[in-house]
Amino acid sequence: MTNINEQTLAAPFTWASTVELLDGVKVDEIGVKERVSSLSTRSIKRESKLQALNYIVSMCDLTTLEGEDTEGKVLQMTAKAMRPDPADENVPSAAAVCVYPSLVSTAKEIIGSSNVKVASVSSYFPSGQVPLESKLLDTKYAIDEGADEIDIVINRKAFFEGDYRKVFDEIVSLKEACGDKHLKTILEVGELRTYENIKKASLLALAAGSDFIKTSTGKISNGSSKEACLVMAKAVYEFKESTGFSAGIKVAGGIRDSKDAIRYLIIIKEELGEDWLDADYFRFGASSLLDDVLKQIRKLKTNAYQSSYYFPRG
Amino acid sequence: MTEIKKTYKNYVDGNYVRSESGKTYTVQLKSESYELPLTSKKDLRDAVTSSKKGFDSWNKLSQYNRTQIIYRLSEMIEGNRDSYVEILLDHGLTKPAANKDIDNAINTIVWYAGLADKWEQLTGNLNPVVGEYFNISHQEPIGVVFSLNSTEVSIDKLVRSFLPALSIGCSVINLSENNAVLALKLSEDINNSDLPSGALNLLSGNFSNVLDDASRHVEINTLVSYKKLNKEMLKIINENASTSVKRIFHLPSEDGLSSILPFIETKTVWHPKGR
Amino acid sequence: MDKWEYAESIESDSIVSIQSKYGHFIDGKFSTPNSKNYLKTVSPSTEEVLASISIGNEKDVDKAVNSAKEGFKIWSKTAPSERAKYLYKLARLIQERSREFAVLESMDGGKPIKESRDFDLPQVASNFFYFAGWADKLDISWGTKEMKPYGVVGQIIPWNFPLLMLAWKVAPALATGNTVVLKPAETTPLTALLFAELCEEVGLPKGVFNLVTGDGTTGAELVNHEGISKIAFTGSTSVGKYIQNAVGERDIGLTLELGGKAANIVYNDAALDQAVEGVVNGIFFNQGHVCCAGSRLLLQEDIHDEFINKLEKRMQTLRVGNPLDKNTDIGAINSKEQLEKITSLVNDGVNDGGELFQIECELPSTGYWYKPSLFTNVQPSYNIAREEIFGPVLTTLTFRTPEEAVEIANNTEYGLSAGIWTEKGSKILWTADRLDAGVIWANTFNKFDPSSPFGGYKESGFGREGGRHGLLSYLKVRS
Repeated sequence: MTNINEQTLAAPFTWASTVELLDGVKVDEIGVKERVSSLSTRSIKRESKLQALNYIVSMCDLTTLEGEDTEGKVLQMTAKAMRPDPADENVPSAAAVCVYPSLVSTAKEIIGSSNVKVASVSSYFPSGQVPLESKLLDTKYAIDEGADEIDIVINRKAFFEGDYRKVFDEIVSLKEACGDKHLKTILEVGELRTYENIKKASLLALAAGSDFIKTSTGKISNGSSKEACLVMAKAVYEFKESTGFSAGIKVAGGIRDSKDAIRYLIIIKEELGEDWLDADYFRFGASSLLDDVLKQIRKLKTNAYQSSYYFPRG
Repeated sequence: MTEIKKTYKNYVDGNYVRSESGKTYTVQLKSESYELPLTSKKDLRDAVTSSKKGFDSWNKLSQYNRTQIIYRLSEMIEGNRDSYVEILLDHGLTKPAANKDIDNAINTIVWYAGLADKWEQLTGNLNPVVGEYFNISHQEPIGVVFSLNSTEVSIDKLVRSFLPALSIGCSVINLSENNAVLALKLSEDINNSDLPSGALNLLSGNFSNVLDDASRHVEINTLVSYKKLNKEMLKIINENASTSVKRIFHLPSEDGLSSILPFIETKTVWHPKGR
Repeated sequence: MDKWEYAESIESDSIVSIQSKYGHFIDGKFSTPNSKNYLKTVSPSTEEVLASISIGNEKDVDKAVNSAKEGFKIWSKTAPSERAKYLYKLARLIQERSREFAVLESMDGGKPIKESRDFDLPQVASNFFYFAGWADKLDISWGTKEMKPYGVVGQIIPWNFPLLMLAWKVAPALATGNTVVLKPAETTPLTALLFAELCEEVGLPKGVFNLVTGDGTTGAELVNHEGISKIAFTGSTSVGKYIQNAVGERDIGLTLELGGKAANIVYNDAALDQAVEGVVNGIFFNQGHVCCAGSRLLLQEDIHDEFINKLEKRMQTLRVGNPLDKNTDIGAINSKEQLEKITSLVNDGVNDGGELFQIECELPSTGYWYKPSLFTNVQPSYNIAREEIFGPVLTTLTFRTPEEAVEIANNTEYGLSAGIWTEKGSKILWTADRLDAGVIWANTFNKFDPSSPFGGYKESGFGREGGRHGLLSYLKVRS
């Protein structure tokens, strides 16, 4: 599959075509829940479990988005993203670190030539309750600081007011501001609630030029869910069928442990296919998840349960 | 060695609590006397808060699950038969009478357990309305029920004072007076069962202390008494109840399908049939 | 090669202990059969012989029926609440030994452990729990003055859901006060034999439950025995017709649950992704060995291509293989005979002009297997559109209007079940009103519950199992 950075969407999709996409959206809630439930019975053991865990590490965007973040905190976390398990060189590095724009340059300082990306959030994350001009300024600043990837939030105010055109136009403008930097659009599925809303928002975001659609900001109590991920995967699939463009999915907010993370991988594998089992197409927004994954990897290799103090803080 | 005497407390929200008033009343049994919580208005209000949550938790479970939980209660009582016999003996029953009462109680629990996932099939139905409409009457449990136990010394009568409402999905606040030791003893098995906290709260005391609040509290959806009440009490209850259109039942049927009818709310839904 | 292959995750069979030879369960215990003939029950996924099973003869059936008659004398005097308690105890034991039963079922019948563990066994337990609860409240179940059990009931069950079919038969029969002689299917007797052990363990009075294994001849002996007061049969329509004829003018109760060729109607305003799931579940669940399987896909013409694309993509993710692998979706075909039947019908379909799509997958070298298959470009006159295949083969037909959908759906001698997929509520109700089927699933499929009556119209049989209506199959009712 073409490297995501090399794909371009013919231009973006027109509003008229977008309306058509949105028109047919029908999702049965119980059907979605049953499909997720069924996929959750997959039993992933031994070598396939180790493989999955390694994928997960390589797909982690190690994240810190707190008011109390400092340069020291970001340096520690970035070092961890580059080398999650210093005692085991076979454990891959994480995909990216995700920090507020003011700390992007700090992260970049230590990243050097490593493959780990520096992602940042903008558009007045997490609420997005400001005019477009402010969102563009916010984004520009992050880009100027050197961010490789930008995570924005959709305008939920506009969405719930029924102004889908506004939601679309804002993303188009923000994508333009990003230039060739990779854009992830956060839907905030916990606020959208219904699967039909999630699917519509997904298609809107994709049509407007997003490279990735992302479940949540991680800042409200209802974060990601496997059901939301499934619905988003359906949207990604349909969008690819219409346009040939393969978008990525990022799940964030509430994925606590490896078992759960593996269930997400199963959904992606069985719904989208193995091409998506790649950090260029799937990411986990993580903080505590990474530690659990590292413990599980160590356990599989040594056959003993681990404690967190074996792994460096990040 | 001095024997440690058992203390009985109110069973609310899965916890054992004294009356917030600190007051108690005495129940004299053959072997000794017990100081039981004299439930106050505030205690009742706390119980209602708990029962509201308990209603939600109890209804989140499937009816099948509720069947299993209630059935298991019968298994537990059978397992603790000796201690129930003892307490009935202490209340003055003969051994054969005590065993018979427990047999009856167990059969009653088994009966209501099996009703929990069938009562809708017996009370709901499709209505043959004129017109291209699908019309169904479907039943829901009314919510929080306050029930007053009779004064009879009987475990069977005790369970009959809360199982009808509980088995169809209501949460129940049950008050016993002279025979409250039985209820608070039963609470131990209730506590060990999988009944969610707040689904069943067992209180001891005097009905006249809480009569006013119980009949006036808007969040108690139904008030039922299995004890015969005098005219004055009934008058107050009815007057109070009318302020919020609360449902009141005095000495309703204690067995069979009719025993659950006081606790059902019927919802009728229409939908057109067309292409 | 897959980028990420699931490693085998095999459910161990060490929990199960199978005897080399079995007798019958009569009069409360296992005994040596009179018959000297045995058949071998084989694991359809490995072709390994699991055990020798007696082919019960006339004398064995006679002994069982007489035991059931004696058992009825005791059972009629047993208090309803006591009957309830026996059934509750059985339900409990089933729950406790669920894993063992599930593994045994997968070994004997070929269905994936995921299904026997997550579907069959929980349903078995819930059926016993549900009917236990009716035993002591028959007097309020129908508001009739008189409700009497039949007496000794003869029950013959199929090989597709062996233990679940046993539960559907035995639980209501015993709850309503009847006693039972059960004959399990020839290829799947093992879970029934294990169930008999549970009856012994709970101390079920002698003769209340009897088990005679065997083949078609055994079944015929049971059906024709004068001591039987009612017959309950689940199986093929052809055998059902034989039984109905054999019973003739005898004044005994009869309920039949026979075959089907259900239509799964997908309207153009369905939630398509979920409809695809429902269609897949409808025909590939249990390898298609389901009487109510949605074996005819009725697609509104304007969504045909889009739907078929999604369907084929989804089918390709189905995993066929070892039933004891927890990741297997599609298990083995139950027997060599059934496999031959499926293959033959599919060949007919191809010869008639249907377009066949089969998923790409590796099939194990031993055992009986068939790849999930889909026919498009089919006319209603083709065999594959009319005959019950009883395998993982889906046949597609198209329609243009709701009236046409109904017409095509009803254009069959069967009438067991149907599916309706649309997001429009009124259309569901309109369509359901017009379908000649005993069970209709709207925006879902293959949903079962002990409280939900199940049974067919037309040649799919008569009588209902499950729910309040299911009680009527085992009681003689008068006002």
